[in-house]
Amino acid sequence: MLAFARLFVMLMIVLTVVYVSLSLYSRAQRRAKLEREWDEEGLEGDKRAFVKAGLVEYDSSLRRKLILGVYIVPLGLIGFIVYALNFQ
Amino acid sequence: MPLYVKGILWVCYLGGTFLLSGALVGAGFWRWVLWGGVGVLPVLLYSDYLKWVFWGFAWASFAAFLHYTLPQIDIVRVTDTYSKRIDFGENSIFWASEDVGTAASMSRDIFFIQGFRPNGRPVIYRNEDTGWGWPPYFKINTANLQAEANNLLSTEAAPRWVAIKHYGWRNEFLTIFPNAVSVRPVDGPDADRIPRTTIAILVVLAALIWAVWVRWRRFKAQRLDPALAGMDAALDQKRDGVSRWINSWRGKPRR
Repeated sequence: MLAFARLFVMLMIVLTVVYVSLSLYSRAQRRAKLEREWDEEGLEGDKRAFVKAGLVEYDSSLRRKLILGVYIVPLGLIGFIVYALNFQ
Repeated sequence: MPLYVKGILWVCYLGGTFLLSGALVGAGFWRWVLWGGVGVLPVLLYSDYLKWVFWGFAWASFAAFLHYTLPQIDIVRVTDTYSKRIDFGENSIFWASEDVGTAASMSRDIFFIQGFRPNGRPVIYRNEDTGWGWPPYFKINTANLQAEANNLLSTEAAPRWVAIKHYGWRNEFLTIFPNAVSVRPVDGPDADRIPRTTIAILVVLAALIWAVWVRWRRFKAQRLDPALAGMDAALDQKRDGVSRWINSWRGKPRR
């Protein structure tokens, strides 16, 4: 079980690094998109509030939850390989 | 600078870094690693011809690694299964891991599966767990696989053809064997042996490498090259002898 624990811990560390980087990147992309939208459409009022409202909306969006696939896909793949190779 | 002076300087650099890395980490494996990184690698990267040698070698190693690791399928007639004690020596890197849950050691009884190809050549596979280690087959059913292989034994007079999926190489000089991953009976010696998994992995890998390559090229053109050109211009303006001296070490003419 020790070998498995080692693999799991290493995998979790790597995947967490990927997850955090991807989250930050995705959020920055969304922020840039909101700012561009503001500039191009020439909206009136508080730009910062507009961007912030857009980001709050992003925080509860499906797109952000999809980043969890970073964990789900590799772990699912390992589970599938274990099943398909050893128990079929 | 005349070519022979450059050559002497490179040799001095190589020798110096060799001695230095020996002094730092002592003789042994890590000395070669350190010397490779600090001594040999810059020499290879700085010279135009050797750069190609270096990258050719790197890609060839990568291809060999993939050829070793990815699954292939053989159609064989299994003639015997047995187990044999192996004491791992200098070939120890070519053996996988102990059965999951059992203790690691430098000596183990290992299952083998031997058979013949349709062309009459013998093939011998080892049958080992890969467990949770490399390569990531997560194979933990070694004993079951041995039973299945044993169940498919046949003779030359009444052959039963079997598709054996495996990875690894057979090499007589190192006494290494491919590791069998699965067996299944097939209709005949001409049965389909297209390695679908391997093809899928190679396609995904090629797409990944291409994606990284394209982004790197774009990043280099937009960010790196202007910055380097700026540094170069600044150095030129200073009329600093150092930049000319560094450039004289490169094969390329100065821009």
